[in-house]
Amino acid sequence: MSAPVAPKTRVVPVASRRVGPVQRLRATGWRHLVALLLSAFALFPLLYVLSTSLNPGGTLTGSNHLFQTVGFDNYTSLLSSDQYPYLTWFRNSLVIGLTTAVASTLIGALAAYAFSRMRFTGRRMGLLAIVLVQMFPQLLAVVAIFLLLLQIGDIFPSLGLNTHLGLIMVYLGGALGVNTYLMYGFFNTVPTAIDEAAKIDGAGHARIFFTIILRLVAPILAVVALLSFIFSMNDFVIASVVLVDVDKQTLAVGLYHMVSNQRGAPWSLFAAGAVMASIPVVILFLFLQKYIVGGLTAGAVK
Amino acid sequence: MMMTKKSILAGVMVATSGLLLSACSSSSSDEPTNSAAPTTSDAASTGTLTVWLDDVRADALQTVADDYEAATGISVEIVGRDAGTMKDDFIQQANSGSGPDVVMGAHDWLGELTTNGVVAPLELGDTAGNYLTAAIDGATYDGTVYMLPYSVENVALLRNVDLVPDAPSTFDEMITMGQASGAEIPFAVQQGEGGDPYHLYAFQTSFGAPVFGRDDSGSYDPANLTLGEGSAFAEWLGAQGAAGTLSTDITPDIAQAKFNSGDVAYWLTGPWNVSAAVEAGINVAVSPIPSAGTETAAPFAGIKGFFVNQYSENKVAANDFLVNYIGTEDVQMALYESSSTPPALTAAADAVAAADTTGIVSGFVEAGKDAVPMPAIPQMGSVWQFWGTVEAAIINGADPDATWAQLTSDVQGAIDAS
Amino acid sequence: MDTTTPTRASVLRGSSIGPLLLKIVMLGILDAAVVFLLMTLLTRGSYAIFGVVLVGALAVNWVYLSKRAMPAKYITPGLVFLAVFQVFTILYTFYIAFTNYSTGHVLTKDQAIEALLSQSQSRVPDSPQYPVTVVQQGDQLAFLVTEPDGTAMLGSAEQPLEQVDATFTDGKATAVDGWTTLQFTEILAMQDELFDLAVPVSDTAMDGWLRTLDGRSAFQYISDLEYDPQADTLTNTATDVVYSDTSLGAFTAPDGSQMLPGWQINVGLDNFTRAVSEPTIRGPLVYVLIWTFVYATLSVVLAFALGLFMAILFNNPKMKGRKVYRIIMVLPYAFPAFLSTMIWSGMLNTRFGFINETLLGGAEIPWLTDPTLAKVSVLIVNLWLGFPYMFLVTTGALQAIPEEVVEAATTDGASPWQVFRLIKLPLLLVSTAPILISSFAFNFNNFNAIYLVTEGGPVDRSAAIPVGHTDILISLVYKVAFTGQNRDYGLASAFSIIIFVIIASISAYMFRKTKMLEDIN
Repeated sequence: MSAPVAPKTRVVPVASRRVGPVQRLRATGWRHLVALLLSAFALFPLLYVLSTSLNPGGTLTGSNHLFQTVGFDNYTSLLSSDQYPYLTWFRNSLVIGLTTAVASTLIGALAAYAFSRMRFTGRRMGLLAIVLVQMFPQLLAVVAIFLLLLQIGDIFPSLGLNTHLGLIMVYLGGALGVNTYLMYGFFNTVPTAIDEAAKIDGAGHARIFFTIILRLVAPILAVVALLSFIFSMNDFVIASVVLVDVDKQTLAVGLYHMVSNQRGAPWSLFAAGAVMASIPVVILFLFLQKYIVGGLTAGAVK
Repeated sequence: MMMTKKSILAGVMVATSGLLLSACSSSSSDEPTNSAAPTTSDAASTGTLTVWLDDVRADALQTVADDYEAATGISVEIVGRDAGTMKDDFIQQANSGSGPDVVMGAHDWLGELTTNGVVAPLELGDTAGNYLTAAIDGATYDGTVYMLPYSVENVALLRNVDLVPDAPSTFDEMITMGQASGAEIPFAVQQGEGGDPYHLYAFQTSFGAPVFGRDDSGSYDPANLTLGEGSAFAEWLGAQGAAGTLSTDITPDIAQAKFNSGDVAYWLTGPWNVSAAVEAGINVAVSPIPSAGTETAAPFAGIKGFFVNQYSENKVAANDFLVNYIGTEDVQMALYESSSTPPALTAAADAVAAADTTGIVSGFVEAGKDAVPMPAIPQMGSVWQFWGTVEAAIINGADPDATWAQLTSDVQGAIDAS
Repeated sequence: MDTTTPTRASVLRGSSIGPLLLKIVMLGILDAAVVFLLMTLLTRGSYAIFGVVLVGALAVNWVYLSKRAMPAKYITPGLVFLAVFQVFTILYTFYIAFTNYSTGHVLTKDQAIEALLSQSQSRVPDSPQYPVTVVQQGDQLAFLVTEPDGTAMLGSAEQPLEQVDATFTDGKATAVDGWTTLQFTEILAMQDELFDLAVPVSDTAMDGWLRTLDGRSAFQYISDLEYDPQADTLTNTATDVVYSDTSLGAFTAPDGSQMLPGWQINVGLDNFTRAVSEPTIRGPLVYVLIWTFVYATLSVVLAFALGLFMAILFNNPKMKGRKVYRIIMVLPYAFPAFLSTMIWSGMLNTRFGFINETLLGGAEIPWLTDPTLAKVSVLIVNLWLGFPYMFLVTTGALQAIPEEVVEAATTDGASPWQVFRLIKLPLLLVSTAPILISSFAFNFNNFNAIYLVTEGGPVDRSAAIPVGHTDILISLVYKVAFTGQNRDYGLASAFSIIIFVIIASISAYMFRKTKMLEDIN
């Protein structure tokens, strides 16, 4: 999977000089201080979730005495629950999330390539339109999607309500949108000289796109893939209307239903479920991080 | 060439959107011959009853569903739904040909469900006498029974016996005893920023100010908004807010966590919170809600039950499943055990009370003796819309009389406008 | 331009057999599905959809088989999904905006009549419960009922009940000569027909009819509502009031009173007129609009600033542990937003919240109840929800800035701040401006981030609707369209369209402005 050209060592001006410990502290110490503060801001609300997940029978925000009780009962009982098929939800979420991420990134990249590299009438209007379409208030989206999948499912049962494919298709409806614009901006920074050179070497447009350009825009592909993965992992509004059977549902839908009736909701089980549900996102980010930040810079390809 | 590309793109756009437009109109207009018919025959041939409920009860019903399938060959599909959107989802999907056959809900949905024409009348026949009167009252709307009731629930006063051994007879006595116990919070009732009139209703009625008056038959009369008689209650709210005995800072989470950690003496709440408190090691006792005014404190009674979709293709099976299966003692007991809300079937309610050694269930039943059904009339929606925030505002120091008077006029205005 | 028209030679050399095969296979699968779809549509008589699908499918085939239409080859996959799912939603909203779809008007007219007639039936007081056996003769269904006195009666839709000699089992009439007794499973196979079966009790209509709901017991019903299909009217036989269809979407009496449920009808521009003339929205409209703009702008600016700051902070290769920091920064994004907002709401609680109780040592700052502080609070929460997205996006976009440019500037003696302000930021804005604009639009309509924290509160009690100080435009119109138990989807759709026009115009204008930025490149 590694890129053909090794990542270029970056030249970092200030730090490239030899520095003593004091300067180093001044150079990076404040960064850590700021980073720790920001981490506290980012993490604090999540500590409540973690604390609740470790406390059987705990409430979500009822107490500020975090981590008074620590045990893994919630995790084990959720994983072995008959009522909540957690592992099935987990698998469904991964299948739907990964498929959506890959497919929507590809679809978006294809369109972004056309918008960036080709000149055609309606290009600007098209670009504008795909972003504007996403701004429509989604008040009736759920009703509309329900009716639409009902009709589709009538003819193609495997694409209708209560199918993973149906849900994935709905998600792909958003593939052409602001993420396309994000990729479009990135494509624009890749010099057209690369395309030209490849063309002179006799490569067709498809080959240029798939074998050369896609590699050069790896960072943004990784970002977009991560964003769509997270979106489909977290969506419960659309998914709860499409996926009816408990065994077909995703983590977000299943977990949300656990607590949607707030009277006597099993918050601690829910929190344990949410903690485990965040793991795929973290792993995917770990995996994609090197593409996001370690990818080739445009200038590295001469 | 430019022109060609443009026209193709335009063609695709027009084609697809045209397709959608026509799909859209065909789905919303009435074309039973085309789209609805195949779904119907499919459903009938597979013989499946689809039941929507919130997930808490899903397990209890699964056993019943299996029994029903064994007896009749009709399989029952239990679908857990988001409790928050279940009612609106049901109304939107009921007549689509793909809605559920049966949906679980509460009696105060009835006004909305019948106005939308999405529920079918039930017939309990001679079994009607087997239910608690309150349950049948709740299940009846405009003289017709629409709901198979399975539970009757109301709030009551929980106390931590280790802190306060005795049940109070008045609100003030409760506060005095609670304070004497040294508990961090003498009395807790969940509020939150938006208020919670459901939990405060018993106090409101103790000042003689129900929301609506009732006609001779006992039904709520939308033309008789009696909310306005609550100025004494409003002043009391303001005084309690100032004294700190009522606070919008007490969210459901905080009330539960504080009671379960032994920091609350008295807690006004429902049966759904009891088991967690007992598990947390609290010595719990239940008693009726003490009066804050001059009259009896009458909380709301909520009746839970099952409705049959008016557009179900399986109405005979649905009726049979509800009346002859859900309406049995075993099933009502199973539902009770999954949700700990008292059953609606008299025999089951008696059995639960007989098996109750802790006095908790009988405490709730006792507290519910004076309970009044939550109004199901559509006008109640106009009340809910303003009620909580006004109470929260008064607790937080707004002028009681003026604010309450405005609540009354806002509600009346909303009722007149609809 | 040249890029769109590769020479014939290059195309030939570039396309090996693999991709071509793939293209043919995929197109083949698509076409097979389309042919099936077309056939189904044809058998159902949906000729309009048939035509549209045919044209669409031909267009897609043309795009991929032709050597021309290069951009369309790349855009079509996304466009198809976009058109089917997003555009459909929009068209549906437009369609609803022209109807009276609302509480009491969700059905079709036939369904409404069915519902009214079914609701109007009431059981004859003190009438007994009749054990019933369903019997069949040819395709005619009949009830074999057992009277309380033990006699058997037979009746069908045409034939009122009359006494028959029947076979009894345990006191219940279970069979009669000439008719086949149906078992319960057989009943279920024809339950629709059975459910609608009304057997007259006698020749007198006043006596009502028998129906069975569960196939086991029958009850005697009467109704005070009669439908006349010829005149298309409903008559209340108790009061003799005639309700007729006066094109209002419900049966209406001469005095104007309506019988609900009604049905969906087209109401033209009514919803739009009501939307612009709605009196309850007038009072709070101005300040809600101002706050909506402030909220959307600050949400974007704050999240972008923080996200970008972090991206740059952690882009320094010298910094140790930045991988870990990056994961921490993405974590808020990995948890469901409704969960986090509930926790934030709890943390901001005046008396028991973490921020007041622990962080500020028992202060009683009314984070959610003071109008101004509540606005600050929703912004903080939305910042927390939004910065990971901006962090990810700007981290990605930073990689597109050529190192040489930065290097050159630094060699020329530019300070890191100057490098950032004069080089990095403008370049970043080129690629992220659209993100910022659509984030603005997203937050303009970010109903949930407001609702889960404050429900729009604290409430402004001077308004006639329960509007609050943190309500934004979209939550205000929801409160107007969904008052009490009334769900006015038609009005809400009209409002959505109006809001869309506003936000789309603003965005389109901003896009035109940023085109200048785009041309730098």
